[in-house]
Amino acid sequence: MAMQLRVTDGAITNRVLANLQGNLTRVGNLQEQLSSGKQISRPSDSPTGTVSAMQLRGESRAVQQYTRNASDGLGWLGVIDTALTSSLSQTGKVRELVLQGMSAGTASTPDAREALAAEVENLRKSLIGVANTKYLDRPVFGGTTTGERAFDGNGQFVGDTGTVMRTVGDNSKVQVDANGATVFGANGADSQLFTVLESITNNLRGSNTAGLDADLQNLDVAIGTIKTNLADVGARYNRIETSRTAADDRLLNVKSKLSEIEDIDLPNTIMQMQLQQTAYQAALQATAKVIQPSLMDFLR
Amino acid sequence: MASTFSGITTALSSLYAQRRALDVAGQNIANANTEGYTRQRVQMTSASGNTMPTMWSTSDGIGNGVAISDIRRTRDEFLEGRGREERANISYLSNQKQQFVTIENTFAEPSDTALQHQLGELWGAFGDVANNPNDRAIRTALIQQGNTVVDGVHSAYNALGAQWKANRDQADALATEVNTLAKNIAQLNTTIQRATAAGLPVNEMADQRDVQLMKLSELTGATASIQADGTAAVYLGGSGLVQGVTAREIRMTGADRLQNQTGDPANSVAVRWADSGTPAQVGGTLASIQDTLVTTIPKYANQLDGVAANLANTVNTLHAGGYGLDGVTGRAFFTGTTAESIKVAIDNPEFVAASSTAGTFDAANADALADLATTPGGAGETYAVMIANLGVEAQSVDRRQAIQAVVTQDTDAARESFAGVNLDEEMTQLITYQRGYEAASRVLNAVDEMLDVLINRMAV
Repeated sequence: MAMQLRVTDGAITNRVLANLQGNLTRVGNLQEQLSSGKQISRPSDSPTGTVSAMQLRGESRAVQQYTRNASDGLGWLGVIDTALTSSLSQTGKVRELVLQGMSAGTASTPDAREALAAEVENLRKSLIGVANTKYLDRPVFGGTTTGERAFDGNGQFVGDTGTVMRTVGDNSKVQVDANGATVFGANGADSQLFTVLESITNNLRGSNTAGLDADLQNLDVAIGTIKTNLADVGARYNRIETSRTAADDRLLNVKSKLSEIEDIDLPNTIMQMQLQQTAYQAALQATAKVIQPSLMDFLR
Repeated sequence: MASTFSGITTALSSLYAQRRALDVAGQNIANANTEGYTRQRVQMTSASGNTMPTMWSTSDGIGNGVAISDIRRTRDEFLEGRGREERANISYLSNQKQQFVTIENTFAEPSDTALQHQLGELWGAFGDVANNPNDRAIRTALIQQGNTVVDGVHSAYNALGAQWKANRDQADALATEVNTLAKNIAQLNTTIQRATAAGLPVNEMADQRDVQLMKLSELTGATASIQADGTAAVYLGGSGLVQGVTAREIRMTGADRLQNQTGDPANSVAVRWADSGTPAQVGGTLASIQDTLVTTIPKYANQLDGVAANLANTVNTLHAGGYGLDGVTGRAFFTGTTAESIKVAIDNPEFVAASSTAGTFDAANADALADLATTPGGAGETYAVMIANLGVEAQSVDRRQAIQAVVTQDTDAARESFAGVNLDEEMTQLITYQRGYEAASRVLNAVDEMLDVLINRMAV
């Protein structure tokens, strides 16, 4: 028997069904993309895209952490800045009092000197309080101490020399504390602020002009140190702020890149959806037309 | 000169033949939608007169009507063979595709919830501890985040294990199904062999056997060839599964859970011949399941182990170098180095080794741990490489499956075109035979009238 080119109802049905299935699958894929807004929903959709998306997500998380670290760092430095500014104004006040005591000299009454001494003593206490300023329960001048205070009641530094660092970018770590021993002078040093203040009180009470002279010099050294540190703190504050801005920019960048890789092109996808739906409807109509008539419809 | 009544016999033979042909057309129409049915064709042969002329029996050269010599099954064995092969291929690839979809769902990347995100949160938690080493709540949150990561790894591993187990069970069920199919085919072989010997038609039985053969090919990639005696010989990778009236059996052997499926070939999952115990070479669905059990799932389970080991090692190395709030050093953050066994080793927030020096709030160590987020070669990278591999492999299976689907569809269409029933054609045949029957009746009528004239109206 010669091989005829036959077409059977079964063959038509199978093929039509396969085509309709194919159409419907494409509609389904597009619908999934439209409803999820993502063109990559599983690694096989785009292996390279998936890896990029994962890397970008990781980067985004890291950058977000940098922003958090920076905010925390800014908190520390802001508190330190306020504390140092306050310290400067109070030490300035002490300096005035010392000058006042020196200018009156031995001529002033013991009561007047006692008043000056008392005021300096108060300022000293207040300054020790400032030097024990805390941020989130940690003394900001205490280094990495686990203790409650950076300075004890006698004005002795009880913190440690550890530094508090914040990571604000890839391999970018900034110190966010100021060490009490550096800012207010090391224990035993002549120019240690609280030692100087104590000496001033004693010399005022004892009317020791020569002693006050030496105290004034030491006080100026201490004030100078605080000023230097304040400038340093300001510089570090700026550095972190710059890093944070950079991190924010990078986050935006990472997110837009991620969106480029993952998200669908909405107008394009809607357009494709329309086309696919039209194709599906056409296939349905063609199927309805092809399957219906047969020889049986025309016999008798 | 032929017999006076030979015309009646001729007409009768036609009536018989046309009716038989009508029946066959009816059978074809009845089975237009029967799976595996092959259309049948009536082979009519005109009955000749005397085939051996002798001196005393003469012939007028006109035959004695029509006879049905055969009712043929229109089947192309070559197309059938190709059909079986392509169906085996598509079964393999479709099952592979399904397996990869499941594995991809297990890892659910890329997303804002899956393991990669959890790892990111862990590094962030270390960063938070670095910011506030004195805060026990934040340390506790870190330990919880560690547990979340561990849970993520466990659930991925368990999902792989569950998929493995489901496949292992299915493999056993399939082996049983294969054995049943082989037995059925051997039985049909027996019946067909006997019927053929007795000259009885075997068309419907052959159809049934073809359906079973196709199913067997889809499951195992079996090939078949029809022998001279009408039996089908079935082979699995060159070894006979069904020979004549006897069928062999296969069975699944080896590991019964993912943990036991190791590189050791002695306990590796395999399809084996039940009688000899030697491995059977299979294709189709069973091969896909075997590959999934032996290669695919263990591979991703191993890679997940790699991620867990990397995570445990990198974190532990740094963590052991730091000091907890209690001043103790050398503690591991994780125990276990596999996806199944990894656990957070500490439960006391004070034990988190955030400090690089004892007895301080120096959080340098926590900071270093947070830096693992961007350290090359870390757990995150190992995991991303694994997901990339998975994506490439799944995509390749997807594409191969799509191509094979078209090929299979074409082969199926060709087979169906050749063997399937076309209703228009059958209707035409129906009319042809109907008219043939009517015409044969007319012949009978004419002969009858002629004889009526001869017998009743002549003489007298």
